[in-house]
Amino acid sequence: MKQLHVSNAPHIHSGDSTQKIMLDVVIAMFPAAAVSVVLFGLKAFWIIATCVISAVLSEYLFNLACGKKSTIHDLSAVVTGLLLALNLSTKVALWQCVVGSVFAIVVVKGLFGGIGKNIVNPAIAARVFMLLTFSTVIGGATPTIKGDGVLASGATPLVGLNEGTQSATLGQLFLGTHGGTIGETCALALLLGFAYLVARKVIKWYVPAAYVATTFLCYIVFTGSFTLALSHVLAGGLLLGAIFMATDYVTTPVTNKGRVVFCIGCGLLTFIIRQFTSYPEGVSISILVMNLLVPFIEKLTAKKTLGGIK
Amino acid sequence: MKNISSLHVPHNKHTDKLDPIRIAVPNEVVLPMNMHSGHDAEPIVSVGDYVRVGQLIAREEGRFSSPVHATVSGTVVEIAPIKHGDGKEVIAIRIESDGKMEADPNLKAPVINNCDEFLQAVRESGVVGLGGAAFPTWAKFNEAKNPDYKVDTVLVNAAECEPYITSDHKMMTLHPDLIADGIEYLRKYMGEYLGEAVFKICVEKNKPDAIEILKQTFEGKDYVVIHELDAIYPQGAKQVMLYNATGRVAVAGKRFPSFGALIINVSSLAKMAEYLNTGMPLVERIVTVDGPAVTEPKIVIAPIGTRISYLMEQVTVEGEIGKVVVGGPMNGTAVFSTESPIVKVANAVLIFGEKESVLPDFSACIHCGRCIDKCPVNIDVVSVERALRHPNEEKREKKLIETGVRQCVDCGCCSYVCPANRPLLAWNQDAKWWLKQYAASKKEGGKN
Repeated sequence: MKQLHVSNAPHIHSGDSTQKIMLDVVIAMFPAAAVSVVLFGLKAFWIIATCVISAVLSEYLFNLACGKKSTIHDLSAVVTGLLLALNLSTKVALWQCVVGSVFAIVVVKGLFGGIGKNIVNPAIAARVFMLLTFSTVIGGATPTIKGDGVLASGATPLVGLNEGTQSATLGQLFLGTHGGTIGETCALALLLGFAYLVARKVIKWYVPAAYVATTFLCYIVFTGSFTLALSHVLAGGLLLGAIFMATDYVTTPVTNKGRVVFCIGCGLLTFIIRQFTSYPEGVSISILVMNLLVPFIEKLTAKKTLGGIK
Repeated sequence: MKNISSLHVPHNKHTDKLDPIRIAVPNEVVLPMNMHSGHDAEPIVSVGDYVRVGQLIAREEGRFSSPVHATVSGTVVEIAPIKHGDGKEVIAIRIESDGKMEADPNLKAPVINNCDEFLQAVRESGVVGLGGAAFPTWAKFNEAKNPDYKVDTVLVNAAECEPYITSDHKMMTLHPDLIADGIEYLRKYMGEYLGEAVFKICVEKNKPDAIEILKQTFEGKDYVVIHELDAIYPQGAKQVMLYNATGRVAVAGKRFPSFGALIINVSSLAKMAEYLNTGMPLVERIVTVDGPAVTEPKIVIAPIGTRISYLMEQVTVEGEIGKVVVGGPMNGTAVFSTESPIVKVANAVLIFGEKESVLPDFSACIHCGRCIDKCPVNIDVVSVERALRHPNEEKREKKLIETGVRQCVDCGCCSYVCPANRPLLAWNQDAKWWLKQYAASKKEGGKN
């Protein structure tokens, strides 16, 4: 008889894989990506295509150069590329997209050991890198879509909010017909992605909710205005960040409790930056800072082993 | 009370409606001397001896051990080391069957007058923990005599939470009388220690017929509680069962009775009662023969020592066989050879096709935390592997203990859910093994 396979228990598996999880994230980002093309035109499509292709290609080439096994099949590079694209405005040049993607994959992820080893979120780090390097991506661009409800002002409505002028209605903020990065403006599309991720059990609903709720409550307490607080939730990168970046497994704490703490920290920081600094956004930097605090949060929120003696 | 959170695994209890079939007498049986945890038993027969069913062929040796009895009638043809299912070598007695299955005429129900005689009888029954631990049953009861422990609950483990397996289920539906007898024996002969105890028969809700039968059997007996458990793996792990049935926490490094509870597998209890009733020791058992590659699963009654290959002949298998597991798919052992015999604890033989047998290579941990989320006892599974590789032994020990890995119940939920296919359970087991070795070596070093 032929040799039997012998391996450690368990002998069955849930069938989940890194690839399936990443595919779910890509699917969840699809509404936002599709809407971005509707709102911002073909340029949005080219930004997405450039970021995704250059991210995947740089991961492939980096692994090749290092003599490592290719990891592009796990789709994490696609997620990084897509996420970065959604965080850019149509003012960005395509070659800048390439630089950003290479930075994300090679510097932030690859050099730290590849998937699972990076300390900060590659897409966010790349976005912040691009903010500092190519100032054109700041602020966002006006949607190209024509219609009555479309705003003329180019920058993100956050600038208006901070100056005390409500420049976009809640309806506009919800549907995304206002300025911003290509993926952040349409709250509806982002919420669809959120629902999908929760339904597929990729994320727990209360993790991004903790982020959004913290910022929301801070504004309610600080300004006393429900509309203003809601505008802050819908405008800028808060939803995109809370749903897709503050839930990245690799760069957030490992337990759900830790993730909630992480998100509350992000929410507080976002409020502080938006309200008290000269910079209108705050999501990227908040998440970046909290990424660095993950080991500390994990230590504080470690689960107690049942019956274990510490 | 909050239940321990665990995992939904497909039940696949295909054989729960079938009646166990007694298989045709195998041509030979192979009986290893280590079918229990503890010291190997010592053969007392020689090659050429004629033995009958139930006859003692190997006696206990050492403090924790269990005797072995002939499971067919026939001639002892070989006493030699075999490679056991897990690759270890062990002495085994091979008996060629004469096909008559003639019972040893000297067998008779033991005469018991007191607790010591009762424990002696349970020793002689050869019964061990049939749920998988194979701890000699008498030793378990013996522990309850320790005056430091006040046992107020006896957990009868009938969860059978692993997929496929239906062996305990069948024991409950076919022999509720033996379970009742077992409880009465314990109350009668260990009354001093267990007289006030509540017997909680813990059954998963996916066995409604067994629950119904048990409820009828124990109607009016207030010292027996049928405790229904949600069918969520791993309800049968003793630490999980203790918590979910009594709310008590099994603290690391302490003996189980110190939590005021004993735990005994339902089939062990029934087999013990069978011996006390008739004098027939543990010579056969119910085995589920199933698995992903099996098209027509069966549940059979087979003499212990029957070769796995003989049991596999009882079912139809589709496609090429890739792996054969004795026990459940979550916790069972993949065997090297189907010529290995089934041992006392072998509640199932599962046959996997080639496709289901090859696990994909594991990839990098993405920190998703599912292993921790699904761990019934909240071990920091993610950190175990890194701690295990720490170059400094003292720090390695400290870090491993911090992960809580000593509390691991071996359920395998972590590996099951890992999207990167990492062998987390195996690392946990490595860690536990290393911690034991290191603690022992430190103790020895201290003495010198």
